[in-house]
Order: sequence, then C-alpha cells, then structure tokens
Amino acid sequence: MNKAFDPAVRDFLDGRVWLRRHTSFTSEQIDEHIDEGFISVMAGVVKIKNFLGQPHYRCGRCENDNQQLFTTFQCLACKGPCAYCRNCLQMGRVSVCTDLIVWTGPRTEYPTDHTLAWEGTLTKHQQRASEELHESTVMKQPHLIHAVCGSGKTEILFEPIHQALLEGKRVCIAAPRVDVILELEPRLKAAFPKTVIEALYGGADVERFDAQLILATTHQLYRFREAFDVIFVDEADAFPYTAEQTLQQAVRKAAKPDAPVHFVTATPSDALIRQIRKTGAVSTIYRRYHGHPLPGPRYAPLWNYSKQLSKGKIPKPLAEWIQVRLDADEPFLVFFHEIELMMKAETIIRTLDDRIRAVHSAHPDRKEHVRALRDGTMPGLLTTTILERGITIKNVQVAVVGAEQAIFDRGALVQIGGRVGRNQDYPAGDFVLFHDGIRYAMDAAKREIDRLNRGED
Amino acid sequence: MTDPCLICMKPINDGLTWQGLLNLEKKKTLCADCSKRFVRADIIEEGPVLDRVHSLYAYDDAMRDWLHQYKFLQDVALADVFADELKKALGGKDIIVPIPMHPERAVERTFSHVETLLDRAKRPYRQLLEKTTVSVMGEKSRQERLQMEPLFRLADTATIEPVTYLLVDDIYTTGTTLRQAAELLKEAGAERVEAVTLIRSIQN
Repeated sequence: MNKAFDPAVRDFLDGRVWLRRHTSFTSEQIDEHIDEGFISVMAGVVKIKNFLGQPHYRCGRCENDNQQLFTTFQCLACKGPCAYCRNCLQMGRVSVCTDLIVWTGPRTEYPTDHTLAWEGTLTKHQQRASEELHESTVMKQPHLIHAVCGSGKTEILFEPIHQALLEGKRVCIAAPRVDVILELEPRLKAAFPKTVIEALYGGADVERFDAQLILATTHQLYRFREAFDVIFVDEADAFPYTAEQTLQQAVRKAAKPDAPVHFVTATPSDALIRQIRKTGAVSTIYRRYHGHPLPGPRYAPLWNYSKQLSKGKIPKPLAEWIQVRLDADEPFLVFFHEIELMMKAETIIRTLDDRIRAVHSAHPDRKEHVRALRDGTMPGLLTTTILERGITIKNVQVAVVGAEQAIFDRGALVQIGGRVGRNQDYPAGDFVLFHDGIRYAMDAAKREIDRLNRGED
Repeated sequence: MTDPCLICMKPINDGLTWQGLLNLEKKKTLCADCSKRFVRADIIEEGPVLDRVHSLYAYDDAMRDWLHQYKFLQDVALADVFADELKKALGGKDIIVPIPMHPERAVERTFSHVETLLDRAKRPYRQLLEKTTVSVMGEKSRQERLQMEPLFRLADTATIEPVTYLLVDDIYTTGTTLRQAAELLKEAGAERVEAVTLIRSIQN
C-alpha cells in the first residue's frame, strides 16, 4: 500500500466518524481513498436479529442501542424497510442505508512545538494535583481531580496538557455543557498560543478540523472514534452526562483504546469516586486558590413565591435582596427551577431595573447576556441551572428562588454557591437560598460546604 | 415503559389514570410541555379555483422547528405528532390527493413528507398528480412562483370524476402549488377542490 493519500482528507477524517455524503470533499476523492484502503465504510445503523428473531438496531455513530430511539420507515433510497437513529439526529440523520466513513490510513502526526504562556503560579495544592494528574496520564490510568469550586481546576490541567502536546499527542477537554466550553475556549487559547485549538459545540463555526487540542461538548464526541491520547472530562457530574449512557460511551469511544479518561469536578458522585479509586487515582483539593473558605448558604423563607410571581408580584424579600445589589452595584445571579416561572419573573423584576434579563438553555441571546453581566453592562441575570457551573464573575452575589425544588440537589447547590467569592479581591459574598420549606438537599449542601471548609490546612 | 416525547425525548409522565390503566387512553406522542407549544389556528380561506383551504396551524416558532426537523432533518417519526388532528380534519368523504414530490427529490429525502403524514393519519389517498419539475417552492421568490411553467400533470392512470377532491400539503404560503393542482383537477372534471394544509404561512 504505497499509494499516496491527500493529507487534507486525512487531517479532516482522522479520528472522526463522518457521513460519507457530508464531507467537504468530492465523492470521487472519497471513493479513491476507499479503494486504496485509506478510508473504510461502515453502516450508519447496524441491524441484527436478536434471539427471538426480532430486529435490534445499534447506531454506528453514537452507539445508541435504546430501541425506543429508532424509527423504522419505508425508505425511498434503499427501497425497503429502513431505520434511523433519533439519538444523534441533530448531527445529520444516520440510517441503515447511510454510509459512515472512518480514516484507516496512516495517522496524522501532530506538531511537538508548543508553549505554555500562562504566567500564574499554582498553589502547593494545585501543584501536587497537577503532578499527580500528569503521572496518571503517563501511566495511562484514569484520574479524578476533586477540587472545590474556585480552586483553580483549569490551571491544574495546563501542565499535563502541555506535556501531552509536546509529545505530539492529541488532547480533548470535554464538558457536558456548552457554557463550560465557551468559558474554557479563550483561556486555553491564551495559555497555548502556538497550538491549534478548536471548540466544538452545536452551532460552532469550525475552522480547523485538524486541531490538536479540542474542546468539545460531550455530545460532539459522538462524531469521534479512537481520536485522542488523553481526554479530560470537566464538570463530569453535570447533566446530561451522568444521565445518558450514550454520552459516557461517546467519551470512551473518542479516546484511543488505551488512552486515559480523566475527570475534573467539584461535586463528584460517590459512584464516580469509587469507580476511579478502583482503577486509577484521586487528587482532592479542599481550599480555594486564594485560601478563603467557601461561602456557606443562608436560608430565607419566600412563602408562596410561585403564586406571587404568577400574579405579577415580586415577593418582598426577593425584591429587597435585588434592590440591595442594585444599590451597591454588585452583579447578581438569581437561579430558578423552571423557565416558565422565570420568564414571568423577568417581566416584573425588570420594573426594578430594565437592564436585567433572563437566560435559559434555548435562549437565543444566552452568550451575549452572560457577557454583558461579566462586562458590567447588565446589573443582574435570572437563570436556570445552566449557569450553575463553569462561570466566573467577579464579586457576584447569588440567590436561589425555590431552593426546595428537586432540581436543586446537593451537587447543584454546592456548584451554585461556588459562583460566589471566587475572586481574590472579593473572596466572600451572599449566597441565599430562598425557599418555601427546607428540604434535605439544602441541609446536605450546607453540610458538604462546611465539611470542605474544615477539610485540610 | 411508555415511549419518550417525540420532541424533547423526556419521558411522558402524566400520572396514573383509570383510562390509562384500562388502556383506553390514546397513546401520547408529546409530553405536556411540548404539546402546549402547538396552538391550533384553524385558518379557513375560500376562493374561485381552490374552493376552500383549511390550515390547521399558523407558521409560528413551534411549527417552524417541527417542519425543520421533519423535512430537513428527515425525522419521519414526527409525522405522528399531527396524525390525529389531520385525521379529524380530513374527514372520510372526499378523495384525498397529496401534493406529490418529484421522484428524484423523494429519493434524496428518503420519504415523501406529505404521503407519510397521511400514512400516519391512517387516511387512504390517491396519487393522481405527478410533479414535473425538481424545483422547490421555498427557494423561489413570489414573482418567480407566479411565472412558472405548470408544476404538475395528471398521472397516466388517473380518472377524474365530478366529485370533491381534497388536496393535502404540509404548508400553504402563496398558494401557487395548491391553485395549480386545483386548476388541473378542475379542468379534468373535478366538481369541487378543497385543501387541507398543516401550516399556513403568511408572507409580508
């Protein structure tokens, strides 16, 4: 097999699972590479018969095999019964008669010339965790960085990533939420100025398909296969990663067979800690980088808030709390458990200050609003749990409306509180849980924060 | 286990009811939140060529998203969302004629979106028309649409009787498609031509 291949085709396809008809290359180019054995073709959806003789489907791209997420239909392309996967539909439909292609030729060689331009210094806790993480990467074993919110998790990753890049390895940082990716992108680009870095999420403008360092939502990893030498899953306990088996499979599938998958989070589940202890190592950091304790929550009753907001009234304690922030010129976040109630609240809360806005996962101006809050042009933002993690806003004050709601579990409340006091100059701040009755998770979060603050040193 | 909501994929949870337990309840395709987004508009328009057009929904955000996912992401399963509503709107009296796709287009899409809606609504139909061009309405300006060559011809096997025919299409925008089909049927002897469309899009 001494035939030549087009490096552009390789750079695009290496490590990816792609729709044959959906590349930027001509079908002749793709066909030639298939004939020469550089690309192999696989079925979009594999149909097998189970022991009862009933068809059982499995998606070749996202590996979904939940039969409820396949739809069968009479296909006019293959002239017969066909089935497609609904789990990864948004990435272009994949059916039994759709061809997927993967690169099976010589692999891309990535540059080994990289610089780490970050000039900060790690605390001794960060330093230790960073070294342990690097050691695990070398030993190809999974590693969990369990570090409290605001302890500087991203900086811990810099050196291990740098070392991997210097060896010409391909690296991925994956996170379940797009907000986390958007927050990471500028920081990583600043830290690694010589490295080709690309952020992948739904609706992203992709310029370079051959990026050596990829930041991606876990969903985007459906499109990868045996691509990375190491993957760091940031905020590993966030929805929907923990809830969806296929996302966890996607991360595993995107890593090369012996490549380690590391996890980074402030609120790991007990199951994750147990799992990593068995096969790898755990580093724990109890202290924020500036050495100040995590702000604990304070409870404040907000009786009948749902009814009051629905009637167009701002419950008095909430109105007062917002007014205090406005008067003091402190940025604030108010968390709500559901969109509908929040949108009602937005209309009335804007009577206090018309610049206040609300965001949720499907909000068209979500990115702009978060930026406006950070830039100080917006005094405060109402949000669903989408902003519970990953975002850093100097001197932000945080309220949760309806802290007794089931969506605010222990992890979510610890993360939400973790938004407060992250900056060295403003290490404290208000973290108030407005509630209509105290629930177990509220106490559990408070206990967890107290426990972490007692932790070490 | 019940099937998840066709749109948000979350489990459909509407509690236990006697009807549910006794299996008397219609199987739901959407969860309460998603189903709330679709509000019936029932726009009825009458005219000389096309005697009556009944459009079930206005072209709002919910319908735009639905149509995008159904037609362009080729999510055949979404035909089930309006199966019951279409079935009721179509009635059982008239001869149903779906607006056809060009065969090449149909192969590209892998399914014929109007026929699939009718299949899922369990309403029998006759394919009396054939599309003559591969061009797509949505890609044309109003001016272009009005100056076009005929879009359809009668199928070779078609015989038209002096009865009422009911055309079906997914979306009614300028009406060029439906009017041309109606004219053709009337010239061939149809007494009355009505239409049911899922969506009415009003252009400014």
